[in-house]
Amino acid sequence: MKRPVAVVGVGQTHHTSKRADVNVAEMVREAVDRALLDAGLEHDDIDAIVLGKAPDPLEGIMQPEQYLAGALGAHLKPIIRVHTAGSVGCTTALTAATHVASGLYGRILTIAFEKQSEGNAMWALSPNYAFTQPMVAGAGGFFAPYCRAYIARSGAPGHIGAVVAANARENAGRNEYAHLRDPMTVEEALNSMMLWEPIRFLETCPSSDGAIALVMANEDHARRGPRKPAWLKAGATFTEPMYVPGRDQVSPLAGRTCAKWVYDKAGIRDPWNEIQVAEIYVPFSWYEPMWLENLGFAPLNEGWKVVDRGDQKMGRHLPINPSGGVLNTNPIGASGMLRFGEAALQVMGRAGEHQVGGVKTALGHAYGGGAQYFSIGILAAEL
Amino acid sequence: MTKLRNVAVVGFAQAPIVAADEHHTGPEMLYPVVQAALESAGLERSDVDYQCAGSSDYVDGRAFSFSQVLEVMGAWPPVQDSHVEMDAIWAAHLVWVKMQAGESEVAIVCGFGKTSEGSPSHVLNLQLEPFYAAAIGLDPTSTAALQASAYMARSGADDRALAEIASKNRAAGAKNPDGQLREAATPEELMATPWAVKPLREGYLAPIGETATCMVLAVEGRAEKICDRPAWIHGVDHRIELQALGSRDLSRSESTTLAARNAFEMAGLASASAADVVELGSTNPAEELILRDALGLPASARAQGGPAINPSGSAQCANPLMNTGLLRLAEGFRQLSGRAGERGVPGAKRAVVHASAGHGLQQNIVWVLGTERRWS
Repeated sequence: MKRPVAVVGVGQTHHTSKRADVNVAEMVREAVDRALLDAGLEHDDIDAIVLGKAPDPLEGIMQPEQYLAGALGAHLKPIIRVHTAGSVGCTTALTAATHVASGLYGRILTIAFEKQSEGNAMWALSPNYAFTQPMVAGAGGFFAPYCRAYIARSGAPGHIGAVVAANARENAGRNEYAHLRDPMTVEEALNSMMLWEPIRFLETCPSSDGAIALVMANEDHARRGPRKPAWLKAGATFTEPMYVPGRDQVSPLAGRTCAKWVYDKAGIRDPWNEIQVAEIYVPFSWYEPMWLENLGFAPLNEGWKVVDRGDQKMGRHLPINPSGGVLNTNPIGASGMLRFGEAALQVMGRAGEHQVGGVKTALGHAYGGGAQYFSIGILAAEL
Repeated sequence: MTKLRNVAVVGFAQAPIVAADEHHTGPEMLYPVVQAALESAGLERSDVDYQCAGSSDYVDGRAFSFSQVLEVMGAWPPVQDSHVEMDAIWAAHLVWVKMQAGESEVAIVCGFGKTSEGSPSHVLNLQLEPFYAAAIGLDPTSTAALQASAYMARSGADDRALAEIASKNRAAGAKNPDGQLREAATPEELMATPWAVKPLREGYLAPIGETATCMVLAVEGRAEKICDRPAWIHGVDHRIELQALGSRDLSRSESTTLAARNAFEMAGLASASAADVVELGSTNPAEELILRDALGLPASARAQGGPAINPSGSAQCANPLMNTGLLRLAEGFRQLSGRAGERGVPGAKRAVVHASAGHGLQQNIVWVLGTERRWS
């Protein structure tokens, strides 16, 4: 970063299927209040606001940041609205970081949310484009063929997806904010209904209501705050088109390019040994081994071996998604910022029951579109 | 004021603004525009290190609409990219911030919005608070009329004052080959048109249109090599207000006043009156009068001297959603870089550019552009 940028406050709602007790504004405000309280700040301390969420049709409100200006404390402040599909939460946090790095803004409030119970995500995520075969199967139907292609080319055994799902659920049990927390075994996952082969019911993410807010600050403000900051060592977003001949949908070049870019900027040569925890965007179980490869944590076609060995579990070599991840909490637009925010909490040492020991460097990751939009942040305990 | 990095607008292209382009999809409209913008700047796509689009899923009538333009913006091999669900002028602002952060040197900004795919008045109703405001069927014309009433009650401006502003813009718009509404009209002719929603007449309202736009921005050191006459960004700020129409003084634009004050301070510009050109994002004459008030400009179309206001005809003569704001910034660039043709303001050195979003001028951005670098 041109100027140091840190996360100095984190606030999130409890995530659940339907927050019938609050409307969108009230739900977002919960996360905002918690983030400001965490940072020891008031609305007056905030210079600008960066809001992200997935498609507006999910709630039926167009450009909701306009309606939410009051709830966000944005009156007479700059506010911008980011939308980069599923990656948006992480990209929104990185956009806030860019604002701080510019030197123009000292402290930014950044928020991401989704209130999926207000609409029908299956409908909203099944767009019908001219001259393109309609999908009418939501995100799961779209990504299942990519997962099948991964299994075919890697030779991964069929139980890997269920192992990922059971481990994620075990982690979610330690995270008081997670949506799905009931214990679940590998066998239960394997025996659950097949939705989109190879993705079973218990290997897919829920539809969640929830929000997360972060306060990001420059070095001066970060060092004067009440808490230990999480420093952003590097962050980037890379994107590729859907229809490019020869495009690798299983391990997209945009993801590999983004990972290499942030590792270079952060001075990381060996991510497997230099990063202690990773929050990666896994909405369907098979994406965990796929992204372990795409992010350079495992050689090509060997991501599943990390899972089979159990190296992704709490207390092992590289805990993946100690929060329980997207598989157990998916307010779509917020899911990427939850990864980024959880990575920040890990380097701050404030992840509570799901804290990983000795975290110096953590990775937050999100992807979106047809595996086209990639967004990665590297957070560190020391500047 | 802190010394900032000099950044300039160095290229722009647009598609014709029409009510409905029946022969092209949104991405098809944008593709030749991106090519033309790059060609005008003498750039290859590989010279560009960042891209950002501004568009709306609701305007295009489908989720993830922006992902459909990656092919035509040139995102292969993979590129650093973002998208704002806002008018593309805010994408230009994000690029400027990105350049201040040292994260980009040459970038493209694209706007698109296929308004003919849906019903804009119904779509824009969905911007409003869902329980009390959207539910009663308010559309942008209704909220604009409420705002116009509030302004007229406070200022004493009458129907003729609005008609004279509208007529002035129509005369300017007739000379803009890139405009949509290109027929001049006298105040009397406009005052004879029926009420749209009182006190706004049909003749005062902007036609909703569709287009595609692409702007090239570059930092000092690159900009001069790309463009013979770059339009340097001297200052910019944007602000939002509460949405609820009863929660703010609709007869004024407090966010415009604040954004302008900050942008002018950054630019070292005493006031809007000190500029040579002012280009406003107003879509009706009452909005223009409120913005003139907020910027300290004369409240009459007949005022002599001072900057040329809305040489393009303003958004009142073409309102292609999601592009309307970026077109104002483009007008500033065209005026300062000798690319405004017949409507060029002779010797223009500094331009003030404004754009707006939301109902009743809820969110506003103000830029100052100049022919010379701001910081040395």
